[in-house]
Amino acid sequence: MVDNNSSSNSPAENQNANPDGNLPSESGNTTIDALAHKVQESLSLSKRHKFWETQPVGQFKDLGDASLPEGPIEPPTPLSEVKQEPYNLPNLYEWVTCDMDSEETCNEVYNLLTNNYVEDDENMFRFNYSKEFLRWALCPPGYFRSWHIGVRVKSSKKLVAFITGVPAKIRARDTVVNMAEINFLCVHKKLRSKRLAPVMIKEVTRRVHLENIWQAAYTAGVILPTPVSTCQYWHRSLNPKKLIDVGFSRLGARMTMSRTIKLYKLPDSTVTPGFRKMELHDVPAVTRLLRNYLSQFIVAPDFDENDVEHWLLPKENVVDSYLVESPETHEINDFCSFYTLPSSILGNQNYSTLKAAYSYYNVSTKTPLLQLMNDALIVAKRNDYDVFNALDVMQNESFLKELKFGPGDGELHYYLYNYRINRVLRPSELGLVLL
Amino acid sequence: MDDWYQFGQSVFIGLIFSFLLAKLISIVVSFREENLRIVHGDSVETESTPLQSEPKSIADDFGSSKAESSRVRADDSAILDKGNAASENTLPDEDDSDDDWEGVESTELDEAFNAATAFVAAAAADRLSQKVSNDVQLQLYGLYKIATEGPCSTPQPSALKMKARAKWQAWQKFGAMPTEEAMQKYIAIVTELYPTWVAGSIIRRKDGDRNDASSADTKGPMGPVFSSYAYEEESGNELKMDAIHAFAREGDVENLLKCIESGVPVNLKDSEGQTPLHWAVDRGHLNVTEFLVSRNADVNAKDNEGQTPLHYATVCEREAIAEFLVKQNAATDIKDNDGNSPSDICELNWPWMQHAASLPA
Repeated sequence: MVDNNSSSNSPAENQNANPDGNLPSESGNTTIDALAHKVQESLSLSKRHKFWETQPVGQFKDLGDASLPEGPIEPPTPLSEVKQEPYNLPNLYEWVTCDMDSEETCNEVYNLLTNNYVEDDENMFRFNYSKEFLRWALCPPGYFRSWHIGVRVKSSKKLVAFITGVPAKIRARDTVVNMAEINFLCVHKKLRSKRLAPVMIKEVTRRVHLENIWQAAYTAGVILPTPVSTCQYWHRSLNPKKLIDVGFSRLGARMTMSRTIKLYKLPDSTVTPGFRKMELHDVPAVTRLLRNYLSQFIVAPDFDENDVEHWLLPKENVVDSYLVESPETHEINDFCSFYTLPSSILGNQNYSTLKAAYSYYNVSTKTPLLQLMNDALIVAKRNDYDVFNALDVMQNESFLKELKFGPGDGELHYYLYNYRINRVLRPSELGLVLL
Repeated sequence: MDDWYQFGQSVFIGLIFSFLLAKLISIVVSFREENLRIVHGDSVETESTPLQSEPKSIADDFGSSKAESSRVRADDSAILDKGNAASENTLPDEDDSDDDWEGVESTELDEAFNAATAFVAAAAADRLSQKVSNDVQLQLYGLYKIATEGPCSTPQPSALKMKARAKWQAWQKFGAMPTEEAMQKYIAIVTELYPTWVAGSIIRRKDGDRNDASSADTKGPMGPVFSSYAYEEESGNELKMDAIHAFAREGDVENLLKCIESGVPVNLKDSEGQTPLHWAVDRGHLNVTEFLVSRNADVNAKDNEGQTPLHYATVCEREAIAEFLVKQNAATDIKDNDGNSPSDICELNWPWMQHAASLPA
């Protein structure tokens, strides 16, 4: 029973302390605590949403209301009315702008994230974005250094928190909107009760506004008002034995390791003629291909050649892109890409790093998507990746099961700030991948 | 028996009642907020605080952080009103020496203060709780600001904005009071107002630990999600196996011995043709492998696909076991149904495998 946990406080005392203080006594003293929990829970829930009802985000109550106009929820404020000074931090801390070109700063950011960023539910893995990856993710064309925000301890100058935005042109139906993609929010584990995260989010929002940008895109693992779309992660074992050994996947009691390994075996070389790595001179062709392909999705990035060069030209251990050049016509008709995001394996004696490839943007016009992605798997396996991950966005669903991807335990919700889309999109209507 | 029945009934009624009450409170609260929004629409610079009109997010909602919703739309305060990423577990940090954290890391006082602010927020949202005088509200506001933001450095609001000005003065009058002192005073006032608040917050924390808090903690407020394979109940696998196979799979030598001594054949096959030795090799139990071989297990037993334990050891890259099997005269050249022998499928540099294969049979 619930009150076993709270034997030290008598129910009578609690009646005064809790919102249910005026409850009639007929419900019985034994259940007072249980009731207190119930009420508290409902209060918290309603409060969580209360906050969001004050924010320019899509509201739950408006779901399915087609009469509301799509587009910005609030008009931009005159720039002169945007708060000019940073928000106040607790007085032991100070704001810094992180220069990712500086080797020293980049190291500090890397160390903060590597030791304190996102983990799985069981704390067995933690994302370990490489320094090269962070530079790539944070310095796209037209980026703002002021959006790379750190918090330091005044006395020791130690970096203890971080949040970033990068500019992106994102198309929603027929409108291309300048947005900020918000990411890499991280607070040092030892400061988790210092209430830093909310003020960091406010600060990055303020700095985004100062650049006259009023919309943002972000993802989260939790449900807030209101997801544009909810996607699921899928995983394809490339190194099943290691994945089982480190606890990324489980071996069923009736399944042998031997058969599992055979199941996921891939050929040594790719099968599509003309399949090769993307090069600089491919940028115009890939841009055309990608723009055309992404136009079918309701929300997708609006890439120009500069963007494609930055986001898709291969960078070792950061992003890999392959295309199919027709051996006869030399036309480029198909394209696939993945980015490299390793994770630290926490507390395993034999392995310290999980090397994961994440499906990025894939376009197929001549080569079947299934075959194209199978070649991507082969390349990834050849380069010693342990697992290939993909969201069910775009047309990914058409190959996931067939290529032996298994469903993951992670859901990823996509959100837009200050921009309304009339209905929740299916993952297949979404053409956006955030890092 | 009767007692239990009555007890169950009262729990049931209690639950229904609490649900209705919660619903009522949330309706009342939202109604009140609507009004307040209209009333305070002009006090643009007002920031809400725990005791102010707007109920704040309880710390427990979002990990451990306090949401501070600004009333100022222009500030847009937060894109996301969420606490902290990842979990609270206290793995030792490779890069930190303890000295660095002196006076910096979260303390029990921080936790207590968080709990107190959360409690005040909850109480403020709750119409049924006792009224707190305006003076005390302002005092709490001032202490809260000192504790979270330090000494007041913002310019004084104009005299027309009475409420904002009163709050500014409340903050300003504490001067350069240290953070810790402000937290302690805040907690003291809350304790005076609600002598039993600590009990309430402990209950809630316990509750949170069991339920959503853990997942909210690890998943973080925004950003990517770490996903791994979802655990799926095995389906479509019709394999029938006996206890002896399971003991071999689990590396349970003791029970294996009992099985064999009670007369279970050591080469008993499951429905896929796998012997206990196949299972022991597959799961990498060298000791079980040695034990089974010492009990005359057939090192060249074939499963339904024609594979021997050495095929398994090779595919699973279990070097010590494979080497042991070869020494026990396991054949390296037996072909499975696909025509592959262990030496064919061996991708690692195991000289004894190749060497043995080239020896005349």
